[in-house]
Amino acid sequence: MVLTCAVRKSDTGHTRRRVLGAGLSLTVLGGCGLLDHYDDGPPPAPDPLQPLADEALALAAAYDRAAVSLPALAARITPLAEDHRAHAAELARVIGRTPVASASAAAAPSAPATDPAAALAGLRAAEQTAMKSAVTACATTTELRAGLVGSIAACRATHVEALR
Amino acid sequence: MNAQLAGALSAEEAAIYAYGVIGVKLAVKAEVTEARAAELEHRERRDWLVSKIAEGNASTGPAPAGYELPFPVTDRAKALELAIRIEDGVAQSWRPVLGATRDADRTTALAAMTDAAVRACRWRRLAAVTPLTMAFPGQAT
Repeated sequence: MVLTCAVRKSDTGHTRRRVLGAGLSLTVLGGCGLLDHYDDGPPPAPDPLQPLADEALALAAAYDRAAVSLPALAARITPLAEDHRAHAAELARVIGRTPVASASAAAAPSAPATDPAAALAGLRAAEQTAMKSAVTACATTTELRAGLVGSIAACRATHVEALR
Repeated sequence: MNAQLAGALSAEEAAIYAYGVIGVKLAVKAEVTEARAAELEHRERRDWLVSKIAEGNASTGPAPAGYELPFPVTDRAKALELAIRIEDGVAQSWRPVLGATRDADRTTALAAMTDAAVRACRWRRLAAVTPLTMAFPGQAT
């Protein structure tokens, strides 16, 4: 009699019977191969444009940090950060994933900038590197994506100019 | 591909014409130099396009004798405004070429679009127009 009654398992309200039942269901589903893609399958290959999206978010973050450290630069560099965020959003739409920075894009920043000239030079160097990677990506991407990637490369080139 | 090349050719010819008008209204040496350099680059891009279109055995047709400018260029401010508009237009005309080309031709098209976008950025700075940049140069707004 007592064993047929529901026994409270935890504060969440789950009963032992319910937990056992859920476990059994998962085992059956797993045995049928329905959950194979959750544990055994290889992760989907990253889209060739994912590095470009990561780079865009990393650059936007670099501008944000510089604007916080050096408020006098904020008006000049905030529009450039917005350009990069627009790139990341559009690339995410094309790739079909949400615009989340990967581990490399979210790398820990260096010490806060204190010298405006040095900060601008650093951002300019980063833009030059990013422009080259976008030019390379444009050369190898599909016909459908070439326009978008080309615009991103051109935008990064204008950032190099704007930081002069 | 020829339709995209013809579109870019049209924009380059219009730019060459426009810089002839723009140059007259500029007096500062740096601005005059910038306008002359830009005109030369547009002539080089035009020549490349003419030869590419000829390779495809298509005719470029004669360039119009004149162009209708979007507004009268009466002074330096209007000249700078026209220069910005011209370069933005040239960048827009090259973007479709990217999707219609591969390899070296796509690289040339990207260089042409990028150069136009960078010149537009410079003209904006000279005209004190902000923001200096746009997120997607070459994309119709």
